[in-house]
Amino acid sequence: MVASKTEAGRVQLPAGKPRVVVVRTKKALLKNGHDAGYDADCGALRAMLDAGLVALSGQKDASAALAKYFHPGERVGLKINGLAGRKAATHVELVDELSILLGKANIEGRQQIVFDRFARDLTASGFGGQLRRYRCVGNDEAGHEEDLVQMASSASRLSRVLTTQVDAVLNLPILKQHMLAGMTGALKNNFGCIHNPNKMHLDGCDPYIAEVNAVPAIRDKQRLVIMDALRPVVDNGPAYQPGMGEVANVLIFATDLVAADTIGLGILEELRAKRGLPTLARAGMAPSYLATASKMGLGVSDRAGIDTVTIEV
Amino acid sequence: MLSRRDFFLSCGGAGCALAAGVSAGSVLLPARGAFAAQAPRAYPARFWKKLPNKRIECELCPKHCKVEDRERGFCGVRENRDGEYVTLVWGQPCAVHVDPIEKKPLFHFRPGSRAFSIATAGCNLECKCCQNWDISQSKPEDVDFRFMPPEEVVRSAKEYDACVTFTYSEPIVFLEYAIDTAKAARKAGVRATMVTGGSGEAEPMKEVLKYLDAVKVDLKGFTEDYYRRMCKGKLEPVLKTLEVIRASGVWLELVHLCVPGQNDSEPEILAMCRWVKTHLGADVPVHFTRFHPEYQMKNVAPTPNATLVRCREIGLAEGLRFVYTGNVPGLAGENTSCPKCGKVVVARRGFELEELHIKAGRCAFCGTTIPGVWS
Repeated sequence: MVASKTEAGRVQLPAGKPRVVVVRTKKALLKNGHDAGYDADCGALRAMLDAGLVALSGQKDASAALAKYFHPGERVGLKINGLAGRKAATHVELVDELSILLGKANIEGRQQIVFDRFARDLTASGFGGQLRRYRCVGNDEAGHEEDLVQMASSASRLSRVLTTQVDAVLNLPILKQHMLAGMTGALKNNFGCIHNPNKMHLDGCDPYIAEVNAVPAIRDKQRLVIMDALRPVVDNGPAYQPGMGEVANVLIFATDLVAADTIGLGILEELRAKRGLPTLARAGMAPSYLATASKMGLGVSDRAGIDTVTIEV
Repeated sequence: MLSRRDFFLSCGGAGCALAAGVSAGSVLLPARGAFAAQAPRAYPARFWKKLPNKRIECELCPKHCKVEDRERGFCGVRENRDGEYVTLVWGQPCAVHVDPIEKKPLFHFRPGSRAFSIATAGCNLECKCCQNWDISQSKPEDVDFRFMPPEEVVRSAKEYDACVTFTYSEPIVFLEYAIDTAKAARKAGVRATMVTGGSGEAEPMKEVLKYLDAVKVDLKGFTEDYYRRMCKGKLEPVLKTLEVIRASGVWLELVHLCVPGQNDSEPEILAMCRWVKTHLGADVPVHFTRFHPEYQMKNVAPTPNATLVRCREIGLAEGLRFVYTGNVPGLAGENTSCPKCGKVVVARRGFELEELHIKAGRCAFCGTTIPGVWS
């Protein structure tokens, strides 16, 4: 089962199991010997995007798949995670390839807005200083709404990029271990839509991550997740630490953010086990917010309840 | 050209003030947007240590945030830059007002005097009923601020014949600025006071206390559950801070904001008053103040007057000698009475001083010493 679009354009979770597509390839990253350490192979990324989007959507090709999730003329926010800089951010090459596909789906470049908390993070992660086909905006440049959004445990002001500049969000997290939250993926990526994530890192970010994702202005714009697990940070995250990036050559596709993170967590645990690292639960860092999000009806956190499709390209 | 004083007065608004919010009762009020949007300047922070991999651990408050490179702590105003911790609020207040000292409230500290009050963005708690949330829960770049180094703060305070007061948000998160300003004030013969939630580590608190003349602490509740649920904080470190302040000899007053149904039960008030008497002494004034619906608690009605009166009765019955009600002008409990002869030695209405019968720190009627800083 895949997600379907309502008349308003909002993706509604299907009644059955949510599908998560895991696309693996042999080599999506090439060692460059300097700077970020790796360059992404655009050809490999394109093949992964094609395969993942088709498998998720059931459409004939990637642009048709994207057209299923985004209306022509809509302004699409590409929410990347650029906090850790070039070495552990959503790969700019992935966004470049996706941007081309969005163009083919009649989402023009000027309607594609890459955003994150700070303009400096966008620059540091490779999204600034160059002429790109899409716009890049930091929340610090666009500002936040004056009015507060009330949640059960906290309150926040929303990014004006989210509220005024985009109609839909394509969530593009990078998979990382996180010393406070356990892991960071699609759900935590939405901390980049509020003004005060610094207030939400207590108690393993639980229930804060779930509550932020339940805010209608955030939840209703989420259409698609493409998680960058090309080179996850397996320990000591979320900042980049030398030696903590593990090449996995994986992209994860989903419309259910909780399911995407649940499958991402499994991959993270595999990579940690390969290095002899304890499970996050044993390390006292289990991301309990996944179950909370599931309880709040935001998606599925039980692996048995997820239709996981793995594709090798 | 406007003088600094004229500028302050020109954008000021003196209103009928009930709560201790930023704008209530202030003589001067820089309007939002009065200062051009600008990037905050960074200054070296104190009270932190290095951890491996460019992480740092903040030692300013009990949260002990472990902060990644390029990230900030819970307060949102201290940032790790390449393994060095900086403060983004030193010398950059976003609220600058002149208030009556009674607004803080400090009732036993120079009644009728003025407080040149400054605050920066940021707080190390997040109280659901915060009256100043628009600055306390913001980052420096989210608010309008001006550059005001310590010497200028002290000069302005002198101009208004006021003490310097660090208030509104949480001075602990701008402690480097507060220490430098209080130090400059002491040198210039200007008093310095602080209004704080008291959630700080002992060493930084001891450092700032060297230069302070009075501190008012918000004892927000008396259970760990309240602090965790309502403030994202802990009670125990606040109690430790209170003992540190008391031991320092700096004048101390307490405020307990009574939030209906949350922290106003009789057993809780009783336990708090007993603790205050045992650990701080009967002479520490305690103010029970009325809650107003704000921030995340707009759906809760203001505290009934009867609750405040009852809290005051409990405090007095437990042997506390100076217990007040607050945020309700005209309600019994605003005046200071001599504990020996019972006569009113300081009469107040709201933030206004109406009568003062204290001479050289003693009751003008019977000569009993009234604890406080009176001159």
